[in-house]
Amino acid sequence: MTIVVPEYLAPLIPWVRGIVGLVLIGFIFVGAMGAVWLERKLSADIQTRMGPCRVGKYGLLQLVADAIKLFTKEDLKPLNADSLLFNNANIFMLGSVFLMLVALPVGAVFINGVEYPLAVTQMDISVLYIEAVSALSIFGIFMVAYGSNNKYSLLGAFRNFARMVGYEVPLGISVISVAAMTGSLNIVDISSAQGLHWNIFLQPLGCFVFFVSLMADMGRLPFDQNESEEELIAGWITEYCGMRFGLGFFAEYIHMILGSFLVALLFLGGWNVPGFIANNSVLGLIAPTGFLIVKVVFVLMVIIGLRWAVPRFRIDQVVDLSWKKLLPLALLNLVWAVGLGLYLGA
Amino acid sequence: MDVAEILKSLTDAFPEAISEATAESEIRAGSYVDKDKVKKVCQYLKDSLQFDHLCSVCGVDYIKRNELEVVYHIASYNHPVVLTLKARLPRENPEIESIVSVYWNANWYERETYELFGILFKNHPNLKSLVLPEDMLGEWPLRKDYEGFPNKTARNLV
Amino acid sequence: MEEQLEPNEMIVHLGPQHPMQPGPFRLNLRLKGETVVDADIELGFIHKGIEKILENKTYLQGITIVDRICYLVALVNEECFVGCTEKLLGIKPPERSQYIRVILDELTRIQSHLLGMGEFGEFIGFVSMFMYAIREREEVLGLIDMVTGARVTHSYLKFGGVRDDLPDGFKEKALSVFNNLKKSVDDFEEMFHTDRIFRERTVGVGVLTADVAKNLGVSGPVLRATGVPFDIRKNEPYLVYKDLDFKVCTETAGDCFARVQVRINEIRESIYILEQCLDQIPGGPLFPEGTMYGRRTPVMRVPAGEVFHRVEDPRGEMGMYMISDGSDKPYRVKIRGPYYPTLQALPPLIIGTTVADVASISGSMDGCTSEADR
Repeated sequence: MTIVVPEYLAPLIPWVRGIVGLVLIGFIFVGAMGAVWLERKLSADIQTRMGPCRVGKYGLLQLVADAIKLFTKEDLKPLNADSLLFNNANIFMLGSVFLMLVALPVGAVFINGVEYPLAVTQMDISVLYIEAVSALSIFGIFMVAYGSNNKYSLLGAFRNFARMVGYEVPLGISVISVAAMTGSLNIVDISSAQGLHWNIFLQPLGCFVFFVSLMADMGRLPFDQNESEEELIAGWITEYCGMRFGLGFFAEYIHMILGSFLVALLFLGGWNVPGFIANNSVLGLIAPTGFLIVKVVFVLMVIIGLRWAVPRFRIDQVVDLSWKKLLPLALLNLVWAVGLGLYLGA
Repeated sequence: MDVAEILKSLTDAFPEAISEATAESEIRAGSYVDKDKVKKVCQYLKDSLQFDHLCSVCGVDYIKRNELEVVYHIASYNHPVVLTLKARLPRENPEIESIVSVYWNANWYERETYELFGILFKNHPNLKSLVLPEDMLGEWPLRKDYEGFPNKTARNLV
Repeated sequence: MEEQLEPNEMIVHLGPQHPMQPGPFRLNLRLKGETVVDADIELGFIHKGIEKILENKTYLQGITIVDRICYLVALVNEECFVGCTEKLLGIKPPERSQYIRVILDELTRIQSHLLGMGEFGEFIGFVSMFMYAIREREEVLGLIDMVTGARVTHSYLKFGGVRDDLPDGFKEKALSVFNNLKKSVDDFEEMFHTDRIFRERTVGVGVLTADVAKNLGVSGPVLRATGVPFDIRKNEPYLVYKDLDFKVCTETAGDCFARVQVRINEIRESIYILEQCLDQIPGGPLFPEGTMYGRRTPVMRVPAGEVFHRVEDPRGEMGMYMISDGSDKPYRVKIRGPYYPTLQALPPLIIGTTVADVASISGSMDGCTSEADR
């Protein structure tokens, strides 16, 4: 819907947009801090210990303390590091994440039975756009690893390439299967078209392939060979200190939240609610977004729990898994999706 | 095979190289061995008497007798007898044949004995310092007349 | 190692400080892509000169120093040293002391194997395994703490006996700890057997055959995983091991998975030994009757002689060669640590594997560099 602004307030519009943008970025970082807190508490629970519990109630302010620590650290650069790549890698890492956020709807409100999704922009090809932009982060990782003049980072970078190349293909194919069945590439359409029969029931194989490829894309255990703390010290980010490391760290967690959003929107039914809630004036405002957030948190907990419950693959096993096992499954799912779409459409 | 048979077989095979062969108990025996025949004796022990486990190679400094000794402890995976072979070396120029070709794990033991005592092992594939830093090579710290200890300890430096 | 490098080769140091190591040593790897072409180990970062120190301290002071050869299994190191000296002195500790020593040795074995399993899980990325294993280890360390008063570096053994008797309530606490430990070890074994990724990382990795292992001179769980039943407790029994019923745990595969399995089985066997000991332990004095050895040992002169004594360390065969010249200080003590030959055997094993496998193989050897360097 459009808002009509009187004439004398027109010059203020860029300022208003800027302030709204900064507030949203603030929310996103707070969301990332919440995700890190969730990870630390959940991992502590899995390992029968207490996580952060001293700074703030339930350790909620622990991340604030960590951010202050990271800001106050010295910014070291190795002697022979490539300045152009080293200094600017953070731009790519965070930039790709924020570009993804532009097209992602974070909820919806139902006013008088009409649905208004909450997204910064609505594109016709939003799913394809999100896929394409999420692949930009690999440039950031390679810039750090190659520019650090460090052998451990270099080994991490090589492994990263092998992994990303292998897993982009099943990821794209499983997304295309969902789009093919729905008949649109707009993520808002895919989400609303599910109604109450979610895509996970119609395409369980597709959901599985998408989830595994997403974990590999994000670089989470069991696919974090580029980091693998035990073999390569810290892998690709060994030489980053202070807030440079902090920004890379946050970029990874924001990517994780976005990945959970994607799973919830594409396969778990998004914000769809039964009719009686949509027509209710009060519940229509909060319930759909609330449902979506609950699904996102659930997927986030699965991703986090999986990290602490399994060991790590070796890099040749990872590449083997992607090309020999996930790709055939993704193709099979595509055939199934097209067939199911034709049957349901007919 | 018990200890008496082992010692008898050894002294029969090398009558001039083995001397003062004694059996201290049912599972321990020891003898002196001529320093030029060590490798042959070890090869015989490994092939015929089933002594396939080298426990350790170490050096001992007998400063009163003006001698260094290289002591080999050889055991077996099959029977519990441990044989102690000692080779006497003069203190001025101690050299002995290396047994790396017979027992593979003698490599590091001999390197360590070299840097701690100064005993040169001929035909060793890689004789350089193992546990000591390279600039301490030549000081032979474990000999009894080493001047660095205890003068170089922290108590005397601060 | 320093020859001309090909265009796509590089030398990487898994250097003295690395999250993956059990202690500081430098592993120089020559990599071609991800494959290891050549490997070399440099030691000496934690060399304390214990053999020279022992020549300048009395035998009683030596017990405290021998603790620090490997701080994780201090009681077994003390056992070796005190056993050597007792053979030279010609005394034998009474039955009760021998049973107490066996109890402490087996508790040390359990906690060392738990730490080894946990660290191995951590090296291949399974951090939660480390946390679970450490949690169980805390209970066992609490038991050792009850008896000796310390969690590491205990200084508990004395010539002819032990420093203090077992405290009251030790047997009940120990049996309850063992009940929990049996269930936890079953859980760990199930985790290792059913986790698909774990099996992919360990089965068939770092395979040793029995002949190669014997040639390389390794001992302990690494050798028993290849099928050779070599255990000092059965070969030349010391203390009261000949009165106890236990079996030597072996596997045949010789890979990383078999080594972990051997350690899990050994924990179970140790619990069985401990239950027998707590059952059979007799009353009696702690030191031999009618001798001067007691809780306060005077400065004593050890008769001249030499002896070579071996014990079964959790990591293999530990030996000490002690020469005495009749004075109150040893003339020469040579310490043969169990991890020394295992570390020596590491470079030939990892040539041809990838960097990720280096972590697997090195973790499954489970050692303590402190006792390799002394």
